[in-house]
Amino acid sequence: MRRLLSAEWLKLRRSIVWLLLPVSPLIAFAVAWKAPLEAIGGAGWMEAYIISANVHGLMFLPLLVGIFAALLCRFEHASGGWKQLLALPVRPGAVYLSKLAALAGLVALLQLLLGAALLAGGLLRGMDGGVPWAELGRALLGGWVACLPLAALQLWASFAWSSFAAPLVLGTVFTLPNMLVVNSERFAPWYPWAQPLLAMMPRSEEGFGAFNVPAESLFLVIGGSFALFLAAGWLHFRRRAV
Amino acid sequence: MDMNHGIGQPLGQEGRQPWLLETSGLTKKLGGKAVVRDVELRIGEGDIYGFLGPNGAGKTTTIRMLLGLAKPTRGRVTVFGKDLAKNRLDILRQVGSLVEYPSYYGHLTGRENLEVVRRLLDAPQERIAEALGIVRLEKDANRLVKGYSLGMKQRLGIAAALLGHPRLLVLDEPTNGLDPAGIQEIRELIKSLPQQRGVTILLSSHLLSEVEQMATRVGIITSGSLVYQDRIEQLKRRTAGRIRLAVSEPEAAWKRLLEQGWEARRDERGLTVPGGDDRDIAAIVAELVRERHAVYRVEEERSSLESVFLEMTGTGGSL
Repeated sequence: MRRLLSAEWLKLRRSIVWLLLPVSPLIAFAVAWKAPLEAIGGAGWMEAYIISANVHGLMFLPLLVGIFAALLCRFEHASGGWKQLLALPVRPGAVYLSKLAALAGLVALLQLLLGAALLAGGLLRGMDGGVPWAELGRALLGGWVACLPLAALQLWASFAWSSFAAPLVLGTVFTLPNMLVVNSERFAPWYPWAQPLLAMMPRSEEGFGAFNVPAESLFLVIGGSFALFLAAGWLHFRRRAV
Repeated sequence: MDMNHGIGQPLGQEGRQPWLLETSGLTKKLGGKAVVRDVELRIGEGDIYGFLGPNGAGKTTTIRMLLGLAKPTRGRVTVFGKDLAKNRLDILRQVGSLVEYPSYYGHLTGRENLEVVRRLLDAPQERIAEALGIVRLEKDANRLVKGYSLGMKQRLGIAAALLGHPRLLVLDEPTNGLDPAGIQEIRELIKSLPQQRGVTILLSSHLLSEVEQMATRVGIITSGSLVYQDRIEQLKRRTAGRIRLAVSEPEAAWKRLLEQGWEARRDERGLTVPGGDDRDIAAIVAELVRERHAVYRVEEERSSLESVFLEMTGTGGSL
């Protein structure tokens, strides 16, 4: 696994993920720096966070999960990489898991960059003190966890379809209705593309639609669907590989 | 206790060589149809084994099973005296392979491509320079592979296969799609490996002429079945020729020889007799001269290896 991940890192190092990663963080940076906020410092931090997390969670995060998954598999689909990997002394299951780990790592990096950019923007504006570390950290971490089922699903699609475009189309087509989906208290928690946004929003009294769904039930669904998508993709990979 | 016998130990049965790679009853069915049927490969240490057959005969499917990339429907693969199904990772650690077409990451340089494989093998750093040297890619090592020619990609693939210092190198159609210069280069490289590195090579091809120049042993597969397997000299012996006689009046000469009890054949270019015994040839020539035929030429005619191959694989002309 360690060997596989270090090989994944080499392949990622020279890919376009580094151009895609800064998009949401730049937005967060701009919001914290220049957006009209009700408070500067204190409650202003969460206000800036909520604005940027809305854009990020609603669109960019689910889209990027799909793009990263497709990129990670494209290295292998493009010119016989799967075959070479599997003819080397590595376990087929580990090959699949290393891809998922690389994907989860990229999303974690994205969340960290988002947080860092938000802080940098705020500090530049002169917001000092009162950074709600715990609340912010919990929201970013929650967003990462909520991406895992989507990551497992997109990885499965990216492996199963050797075309680069197909999994991207899947990701885009299901990300676009997010805006409508999050209004449905019943449906949204089950919708993998909406889960990241739901998880990234702090629970509050004035929440609407699916934002009222208690965190506990949301994460139960997330955990269950992650296990399901991971198992399905993994089994498919094992069967196809050997 | 491990009941498997290691290489270099006698297998117990008299006269049986301990094979480096051995398959028994190897069968693969795809959609109910056997694409590989009861194949019994035997590859000895130090061999360059030419695995020959027309396209679609089951070569690549067989090779995929040898590497654990495909599961046999039936049968066993034994490599280095161990069962592949149970010791896949152990075996693959000592096998280098290039299957169908070279695998590479186009957005990385040649060196980075080898580094990916090196990390997966956990091989020492200096192997990269060594492998690049063997396939003579040092100069292009820092260029992106997507800009490589097919021949260079092929060489990079061989370098990757050599990185782990394998005992067995599996090369599937390594000269496919190369120009004559590229073919020559790969051929020289392959021929030099067994002496230089002590590696055993399994080499597949649909071209006999190619294998003939490199292989020490050959296996011929057609429609999924192995129809021939032996040392290349044995195959060449099958081409033992006839003697062609060019004479002034072939028709009369042919009749005379038949009357005398020689097994002569008449064709549009003259006549031929079996080329087995020198004394027979001398007697035939003496007989013709005595009959006042002018004997212009006495030459040996070998049926080509190609025609023997065609006969075995039953593929008329194109392979």
